Amino acid sequence: MAATGPVTPMIALARVALREPFTRRARDELLFCLVGVLVGLAVLAVVVALLVPGTARSVTRAGAIVAVLLPLALATGMARRLGAAHRRLAERLLGERIPPPPPARPRQGPLGWLGAGLRDGPSWRAVAYTLLKLPIAVIELYAVFLWADGLANLTYPFWWGLFRNHPPGVRLSPVLVGTPFPGRVLHVGSYPGTFLAFVVGAAMVLAAPWVTRAVVSADRRLLHGLLGPGRLAERVRDLEQTRALAVDDSAALLRRVERDLHDGAQIRLATLAMHLGMAKEKLGDDGDPPDVTRARELVDAAHRGAKDALAELRDLARGIHPPVLDNGLADALATLTARSAIPVELATDIPARPTPAIETIAYFCAAELLANAAKHSLANRIGLQATGRDGLLLLRVTDDGTGGADPNGSGLSGLAQRVSTVDGRLEIASPPGGPTRVTVELPLRA
Amino acid sequence: MRVVIAEDAALMREGLIRLLRDRGHQVCAAVADGDALLAAVAEHRPDVAVVDIRMPPTHTDEGLRAALEFRRDHPGTGVLVFSQYIETRYASRLLEGGAAGVGYLLKDRVADVAEFADALARVAAGGTALDPEVVDQLLGASRHAHGLAALTPREHQVLALMAEGRSNAGIAAALVVSGGAVEKHVASIFGKLGLPPSEGDNRRVLAVLRYLRS
Repeated sequence: MAATGPVTPMIALARVALREPFTRRARDELLFCLVGVLVGLAVLAVVVALLVPGTARSVTRAGAIVAVLLPLALATGMARRLGAAHRRLAERLLGERIPPPPPARPRQGPLGWLGAGLRDGPSWRAVAYTLLKLPIAVIELYAVFLWADGLANLTYPFWWGLFRNHPPGVRLSPVLVGTPFPGRVLHVGSYPGTFLAFVVGAAMVLAAPWVTRAVVSADRRLLHGLLGPGRLAERVRDLEQTRALAVDDSAALLRRVERDLHDGAQIRLATLAMHLGMAKEKLGDDGDPPDVTRARELVDAAHRGAKDALAELRDLARGIHPPVLDNGLADALATLTARSAIPVELATDIPARPTPAIETIAYFCAAELLANAAKHSLANRIGLQATGRDGLLLLRVTDDGTGGADPNGSGLSGLAQRVSTVDGRLEIASPPGGPTRVTVELPLRA
Repeated sequence: MRVVIAEDAALMREGLIRLLRDRGHQVCAAVADGDALLAAVAEHRPDVAVVDIRMPPTHTDEGLRAALEFRRDHPGTGVLVFSQYIETRYASRLLEGGAAGVGYLLKDRVADVAEFADALARVAAGGTALDPEVVDQLLGASRHAHGLAALTPREHQVLALMAEGRSNAGIAAALVVSGGAVEKHVASIFGKLGLPPSEGDNRRVLAVLRYLRS
């Protein structure tokens, strides 16, 4: 065992090295390099075409401005399009998905068009990528060369016999053999020499995938950094998404409140008024009431209706904003847990009070999670901890139930969305069989 | 009077049934959605249907749509649309086919049992019963602000009550004045607005509504 220890990794390494040139990944990366070399050549041609006439024609100042700005605007537009092509290529060959940057804001008129191109950040980053592609393309060219020349060198021993079977005494000039060092060549003049070429070729082919990978991964970084949406744009997109969620959420809440009022308290009060109206008729305008029994029944019904309406309005008001929350989250959670059907062990430690919006979100998360646990988990005990530290409010709900909570269910995904509107996070660990642990992390200030 | 009720809130539905039976009317059917309403009207041919606008499945305007539909098939059946809000657009849609046998009231109006029963009887008899809020909206949106400004405050009140669909006697009772005084006000209003004198309550309501909506 002790002897095989260091040997096994060596064998594994050799196996990987021998197999690597034949993998699909190596092939795709080589293709990516090939395209990179072609793009590099094209970029070089375009740069020369744009800059040389631009400087040559700079006779007047206005002419110079047009001669510089126009090519620049053209270049930004082209670089953007080239960037899109690169993202597609990277996705196809490297399996690398790079989200596109936000589209350039369109402007009116030819000057607007010029300005739009020149003022668009992602376009300039695309220009930067295109220019950085030039040195990268040189290394990619070297990778392609390693592959091509290495493979060519491998063939020497096989064709030597076919073409070099000249009669003795005839002197032929030696054949050139490429080496990994461009500019240095070997001269092979005899059959045994071809084996040297073969060995050099094998070494080049074995090394080629790694060189390719190195340059491709450098290119990949540039792709991400310069052709992606950029950190600011990503943040903007996040904020746009969460803002849309927040707006939808509050609209849905208002709709629910309206619906609850419409179908609940309003109906109860209208019916109550109707009962009282009928009772009034039964009592008559003056003198002895014509139908006391019916009137009494109707007043009874109205009384019941009034109490029901009150209870319903109280529940509705609490659902919008629990008044106890004004005393702080700890008090509100204590009231909440006291009403739970399953015993809840509550621990709160919130030295610095969060902002009201955060307290509200935390409260409704806790309410929803407790209700979930009571409804689905078959738990005997629930734990609820609320801790504030390092500018964060941590809310943790644990239960000893059956687990298997679905993070994509409407309830939990709705909570995650609501939490995300203030840059919070919701984590769910709920293996089948339990236990379930849900952690909500919120900033103290929204 | 034979009545069909369409109302999805059970509490309200039961209350209405009780109220109408109490007053000696026959409730042929009490249903909870638009399709059932159409079926009940086709089956029972009631004098009038009391219809909640917002019912399942979409909780928007299915009651109103069902009401308009059965008014096409059974023009003689009165419809009292009944809702918790007054929407101008709903009122216009309802009045498009004419104001005869049409009512649009807030649900709150059931609190005044006698008035509610009176409005229902008016609609069943081919008259009109519009909620004061509907009339307010019609007056507010009317393009004849100039003509309306010529009315005295009392005449304004009388015009509003006429637009609600009330008879002279009803107006007199509401304003606590004599029938003769109401007649004088009505004649004056018709003169100031340039409306042709109309005989009968229904024709008069139609003339007033046509004036307000034109």
